[in-house]
Amino acid sequence: MLLELKNVRKAYGDKVAVDNLSLDVPKGVIYGIIGPNGAGKTTTIRMIMNITVPDSGEVLLDGQRVTSDFRNRVGYLPEERGLYKKMTLEEVIVYMGELKGRTRRELIAKIDPWLQRMNLAEYRLKKVEELSKGMQQKLQFVTTIIHGPDLIILDEIFSGLDPLNIELIKDIILDLKREGKTILFSTHVMEQAEKLCDHVCMINRGQKVIDGRLNEVKAGFGKNSVQIDIEGDGGFIAELEGVGGVTEFNNYIELNLEEKADTNCILKAIADRVLVRRFDIVEPSLYNIFIDTARIDPAELNNKGGTTDV
Amino acid sequence: MSKFWIIFRREYAQVVRKKSFIVGILLTPVILGALTIGPTFLARMQSSETEKLAVIDRSEMQIGQSFKEALTEYTLPDSDMPYYSVEQVFELPATDSVKFAEIEDSLRHEIQDKDLKYFLVINQNPQVSDTNLYLVTNSDSFRSLNRFEKQLSNVLSSIRLEMSDINLSTDSVLALTGRIDLVTRDAKGESLPFQVKYFSMLAFLMIMFGMIIGYGQIVMRSVIEEKNSRIMEVLISSVSPFQLLAGKIAGLGAATFTQIGVWVIIGTGLYFMRGSLSIPSGVDRIIFDPFIIISFVLFLIAGYLFYSTIFALIGSIVNSEKEAQNFIMPVTMVFVLPFMVGIYVIQQPNSTASIVMSFIPLLTPSMMMMRVIFLAPSLTEYTLNGIVGEALLGFVTLSLSVVAIIWLTAKIFRIGILMYGKRPTFPEIMKWIKY
Repeated sequence: MLLELKNVRKAYGDKVAVDNLSLDVPKGVIYGIIGPNGAGKTTTIRMIMNITVPDSGEVLLDGQRVTSDFRNRVGYLPEERGLYKKMTLEEVIVYMGELKGRTRRELIAKIDPWLQRMNLAEYRLKKVEELSKGMQQKLQFVTTIIHGPDLIILDEIFSGLDPLNIELIKDIILDLKREGKTILFSTHVMEQAEKLCDHVCMINRGQKVIDGRLNEVKAGFGKNSVQIDIEGDGGFIAELEGVGGVTEFNNYIELNLEEKADTNCILKAIADRVLVRRFDIVEPSLYNIFIDTARIDPAELNNKGGTTDV
Repeated sequence: MSKFWIIFRREYAQVVRKKSFIVGILLTPVILGALTIGPTFLARMQSSETEKLAVIDRSEMQIGQSFKEALTEYTLPDSDMPYYSVEQVFELPATDSVKFAEIEDSLRHEIQDKDLKYFLVINQNPQVSDTNLYLVTNSDSFRSLNRFEKQLSNVLSSIRLEMSDINLSTDSVLALTGRIDLVTRDAKGESLPFQVKYFSMLAFLMIMFGMIIGYGQIVMRSVIEEKNSRIMEVLISSVSPFQLLAGKIAGLGAATFTQIGVWVIIGTGLYFMRGSLSIPSGVDRIIFDPFIIISFVLFLIAGYLFYSTIFALIGSIVNSEKEAQNFIMPVTMVFVLPFMVGIYVIQQPNSTASIVMSFIPLLTPSMMMMRVIFLAPSLTEYTLNGIVGEALLGFVTLSLSVVAIIWLTAKIFRIGILMYGKRPTFPEIMKWIKY
């Protein structure tokens, strides 16, 4: 394990931000932390970054307690962005890199390739304030990884970027993974997490409610849904055994299935009565898992033993 | 390179390469020079010209003539020219009030036209009551008024003597009763005009005020910038809050000293050229007094550390510069306080109140400096009993307070810089300190 959190807890006054949280982040994966706003994601990341100290529990990197040396091995992009407006791109990159223990010479050599990749090469000696917001975000991403960190922590990296730049950053993240770097990112945009993550961990109200490899999480969620397209009156479908709910859309009907529902029986029952044009069994999207899980009070979930932990 | 130095270097470079920094370096000495040397220079300009006056004497006792003769003893500084020139003595019988009104009216006009500086009216029996004498003037030179009073007293005393039964010569009575001219000298046994000290002190305090409050606010703004732009989170993931705080304060402090360094070079140049510059005597003695200079540098360093730490603390707990204004006001007021009570301190530099105030850490840099300038002993008279010892003790207590305030700030700073939104309440801040 590259990074481990063991029973970490952090409270601000009476408010418990993170409660008894344990995480294992293996080396070389893309690890997503998801959760609703105010779930404790940022606090968790801050504890990983050693910015705030947990009240109890510990954070280990390579099995060792996090020390100040650790800072040089991590790159961190906070959710709310900002750079020194009056400095030039080169100065900002060198300054941030030096603060991570790299020498000026090493950094200068890496600036041009990175700026070229980000389409920012011509701005190298311009001031940061001359860049557009999106350009500043790309620049900040460069400052986050310029020192070659082993662990890269990205908080809501894609927010505010256009699709072209999202693809650009996504490619870089995948390249970094190929180089053996570990990327931990937090988001509440589930589509991105679904496309990128090997691992997901969901936090709600300070507690972990989902944790595991993405495909296992999906399988473990158990609740598939079915999309059907029929000709005729489908009013009877909601009464069928195994169907938990029906949502009618313009072009299709979505059936939420109960756990262990037999899709074969359902298909037969429908086909007996009306003409079926399409019958799709859909894996639950992370989006649905998120919504379903976020609605439940984590304490309740854990008491019932119904956690989707795998 | 240690992370402290990386931060130090950036903060330093950010200030030093600004145009305003260069302008400040060059402009400040000019302004201060004008402020220090200007008034003394003006005072001198005034007294380099003979002052004209006239007398209307209605006493019928030639008092006007005696007064005119008495004034011949005063000459202009560094020359033989008379200080006063009595243009005319009008001797009128006390009964001729028509003529008197006419003359007085024309003299008043001359004063308004600045052809005349004073005219003196001596009515009948001036030896009986002072109300029978008056001086008309638009000037309020203490020096001249004192001289006139003294000389008139002498003339009147001799008249009173002649009219009495006392059998003594006029000279011996005047020797007994005559008023003296008090010449002020400082502790070094040299006479230093009060205004020279006063304006030099103002100059020193203004440099100190400008440097400490100016650079302190730069420290604060730099913290607020990093906090607002959330660079702070990235910084704190790279360095410890204390390294950041220390690097910032030291880096900007170094900028302060670059500025002063340039001034010292300019000052040294002026010192060697002082002969040809005709700096009023006295000013150079204050500017180049080792005790004053060393005190100034030490109190500036300690004062800068003290105040800039407070400013960094303010920066760490507020969310915007606008919010910070509420906190800056009281801090600045505390520093300006000495300018207001200064008049008292410089008149009573050794009173209990002055001494106590100069040991309150917030006031020490300015108050102690004020006392140092007014009490500075000559080179051979340094003893720990007087101001030298007090300045030293003041520096030690201030330094200890600096350590305490840095300790306190470090505790609040590391939490404050990551808090956004609501400004923390005082009890919350107290909790951070204990935390």
